Amino acid sequence: MSSTFHSHTLSNGLRIVVECMPGVQTAAAGFLVRAGARDETPDMAGVSHFLEHMCFKGTPHRDARRINLDFDNLGGRPNAFTSQDRTFYHAVTRASDVARQIEILADLMRSILPPDEFDLEKQTVLNEIAMSQDNLENVAFDLLLDKVFAGHSLHWPVLGYESTVGPMTRERMHAYFQEHYAPDNMILLCTGNVEPQMIFDEAQRWCGDWKPSGYRRTRVPPAVHTGTAVRQVTRFNQQVIALCHAAPPAVDPLNDTADAAAVILGGENSRIFWNIVQTGISSRAGSFRLDYEDCALMILYGVTEPDNAEKLTDALRAEAATICRQPVADHEIQRVRNKQRTLLAVEGEAPYHRLTQVMDDVDYRGRPRTVEERLASVAAIGADSILECFRRYPLDGEGCLISVGPRNWPAGG
Amino acid sequence: MTESTTHQHLENGIELACATLPHRRAVAIEFRLLAGTVDEPADRLGLARVVEETVSKGTATRDARGVSDAFDAIGSPHTSWTERESIHFSCLALPEYVDAAVGLHAEFLRTAGFPQNFVDVALELGRQELQSLEDDPQALADRHLGRQAYGPVLGRHPLGEPETLDRITRDDVCAFWRSLFGAGRMQVAVAGPVEAESVADCLRRHFDGFGPPQPEGRDPHTVEFRPIRTHVEKETEQVQIALAFQGLPKGHPQYYVQVVVLAVLTAGMSSRLFTEVREKQGLVYWVSAWPEFPRGSGMVFVGASSRPEHCDRAYATILRELERLPNDITLEELDRAKTQIDVDLVIRGDRTQARSRELADDLFHHGELIPTAQKLARVKAVTLEDIRRYFNEHPWQPLSVVTLGPRKIREAAE
Repeated sequence: MSSTFHSHTLSNGLRIVVECMPGVQTAAAGFLVRAGARDETPDMAGVSHFLEHMCFKGTPHRDARRINLDFDNLGGRPNAFTSQDRTFYHAVTRASDVARQIEILADLMRSILPPDEFDLEKQTVLNEIAMSQDNLENVAFDLLLDKVFAGHSLHWPVLGYESTVGPMTRERMHAYFQEHYAPDNMILLCTGNVEPQMIFDEAQRWCGDWKPSGYRRTRVPPAVHTGTAVRQVTRFNQQVIALCHAAPPAVDPLNDTADAAAVILGGENSRIFWNIVQTGISSRAGSFRLDYEDCALMILYGVTEPDNAEKLTDALRAEAATICRQPVADHEIQRVRNKQRTLLAVEGEAPYHRLTQVMDDVDYRGRPRTVEERLASVAAIGADSILECFRRYPLDGEGCLISVGPRNWPAGG
Repeated sequence: MTESTTHQHLENGIELACATLPHRRAVAIEFRLLAGTVDEPADRLGLARVVEETVSKGTATRDARGVSDAFDAIGSPHTSWTERESIHFSCLALPEYVDAAVGLHAEFLRTAGFPQNFVDVALELGRQELQSLEDDPQALADRHLGRQAYGPVLGRHPLGEPETLDRITRDDVCAFWRSLFGAGRMQVAVAGPVEAESVADCLRRHFDGFGPPQPEGRDPHTVEFRPIRTHVEKETEQVQIALAFQGLPKGHPQYYVQVVVLAVLTAGMSSRLFTEVREKQGLVYWVSAWPEFPRGSGMVFVGASSRPEHCDRAYATILRELERLPNDITLEELDRAKTQIDVDLVIRGDRTQARSRELADDLFHHGELIPTAQKLARVKAVTLEDIRRYFNEHPWQPLSVVTLGPRKIREAAE
C-alpha cells in the first residue's frame, strides 16, 4: 500500500512532517534538532551529545525515573543520536499509542537539565568516550576527522574529549540548549499508521507554546585537507588504512550518483571486495560516502596485518584511480539499481526505517521523498554521471591518508 | 492471497515454515543447515565458517563472481553466518524473484566447487579476523566466556584457533560439505507475499534428491558449564565484565517466566540493570543481559564495560541485582515487562525479515510453529507466584565470570 506525506507548521515555527503508512501496526515519531557537534565551540566539544543524554534526565513534569517508566509503560523503543549536523530523539510503538509517545518526546525537549543529575551523567558519557577509544576503527575515524577537517568545527568527535566533557558546566550547556532547542530550529517527524491531523493537533497541544529563539544556523563549509596522518597505538593488533577525498555534499544533485559509485567501488560484490578482500589483503575493506549538509568525504578503508599496510594502501589507491579514469560498466550500475529496489521495498514496510530516511530528506533536501522518487533517482544514474561526479570530485589526487595501529607507517606521517 | 502460517515436511527432507503476508512488498527467506561448529573435528576448529564462506564461491556452472552477479541481477541482498549448531543463508527478494533466489541457493549448496584459491583466501581472512578479535575487547571477553560457560564443544568460536586454521585443507572443506549438507538437515523459513504451496513446489524443484531425506542434525549437545572466574589481562581503556549462568531451554514449561524475568532485568530504560548500574551510579555506558539457546539448553549472559576506577562497583552492583531479583519483583514491574514483550512482538511483526526469523526459530527449537498469540498468552499468564517458583527451582547460580582489561576486579567488592 502506498504512503502519503502531510506537513504543517505551527505559528512558533515548529515544522511537522507525517508519512501515513496504512497497513502497519506501529508508528515512529521523533524530534529533529538541527544542531550537532559542528555547532559547538572548541572548548565545548561534546556538549550536543552530552545534552542528548541530559534530555532524558528530567523535565518540568518528570524526573529521570518517571521518563524511563513512562516510555517503558508504552513498551516503545526510545532512543536518540547525535551527529555533526543534528540531534534526533525518536521512539517507535503501537500506532494507537503514538499521541502519548509524542507527548513524552515533547516533554524531553523542554528538559530542565537537572543539576543533581549532571555530574552523574557526565560519568556515563566519560565511560562512552573510554569505550570508543577501545575500538580501533573509532580511533581511526577520530584521527581522520581531525586531519581532514583541521581548523574547522567538524574536526572533533561527536562525543567530545575527556578534556572538554570533564570540565563542562551545566550553565554553559543550558545556554547552548536554550539557543538550539527552539521550535524554529526543530522538526517533528512521524511515520506509520496514523492520522496526520491528529499528529498536528498533538503537536499544537504539547509544543504550541514553545518560544522561538530566532536562531539561524550559519555553517561555513570546511576545507578538505590532504596529507598523511599516522597514529601508532601499540595495544592494537591490526592496522586501519583510510584514504579520503572530497565528495558531493548531501544537498548536491550528484548525491545519489556518488552513493552508487561508493557501492560499485566498495559495497558487496564490489571492486574492492573482489580485488582486495578476496585476494586476502584485508579481511574488512570497502568504501562509503560520509555526507554532511555542505560537504562530504568519499572514504576507502581497510583493516589489515600491520606488515600489509603498504599493499593495502596501494590497492586502495589503484581502485580509486581506476574508477576515476574508466567508465563503470552498465551491469555494475544495474546491480545497484536492482538491489536498491528490494531494499526500498523492505524499508517501505517499517515505520522506524522510514522515519530516519524521511528525517534525512527533510533536513537536507527540505522535503520528504517517496520510495518511488528515490528509485527514479537511482534509475537516472549512468556511467556518464559517475564520470562527471569523479571529474568534479576526483579520487586519484593526493587525498588524505590515515594509518592507525601498532605500526608507525608511513614514517613521518 | 490471505494471511496464514503453514508448516510442512517435504518429501525431499526439507522442513518448511511459511508466513503468507499479502500486503508486504518483499519476501524474506532463511535457509538453516543443521551443521555448525559442534560438527567440526576437534583439530579443525573454524572449518564450518570456512565452508560457509566458500560454498558460494563457484558452482558447476558459475564462478564466484558469477554467483554474486546472479544474486545482483535479481536485486537480492543475501548474507550468511555460522553458529554452534547451524549455518544460515538468508536473503530478501521481490516476489517475482523468489524462485530464482531459491534456485541460486540450491545451485551453490548442491554443486559448490570450493576452488582452492578461495579456500586459501578464506583461511587467510580467518587468521586476520582472529587478530581483529584481539582489537575488540567485548567480543574477546565473549569468546573467553563462551568456552568457559559451554565447554569445549558448544563453546567453540566460529573463527576457530590459529593452529587449527593452519591444518584445514580443501579436502576437509569438501568432506564437511559432502557429509553434512543435505535436505534432511535443512529448515527453510519464508515470509512475505507468497503462497506456501508455491514455495513448497519451488523447494521440491530445486532440492529434490539433495542427500538423504531422513531428518538429521537434531540431537542436542551437552553443556559443560564451568563455574569459575577468569581474568584476562589486556591494555584497554575499560574493563569488560562478562558473566553467565545456566537458564532454561525454549521448550521448558517455565520458559516464558524466564522471558518475563529477563525483561524486568534488562529490557528498557527502567530495567533493573540500566537503572542501578548506569542511571543511579554512572558506572557504565553499556550494560545488558541476553539469553542464548543451543538446542535443548539455555544460557543467560550479562555484560558491561566500565572504566577501571569504577569496575569494582559495577561488578558488585550487577551481582547485587542478580541476587535480589528473586525477592522483590513488583506487580508493576511484571505488568511493564509484559507490555514491553507485547509491543516488541508488534514491532517485529511489521518487519518481514523478523517474521521469517521467528519461524526459523520455532522450527529449530520446537519442531513446530507456535502462533504469536499463543506466545503472548503464555507471557500474559505469568504471575509473581510463577516467578517465585521459577527462582526456587532454577536459581541463577553458580556463575561463570570473565573479566578483561588492565586490572582484576577487587575481591573486597564482591
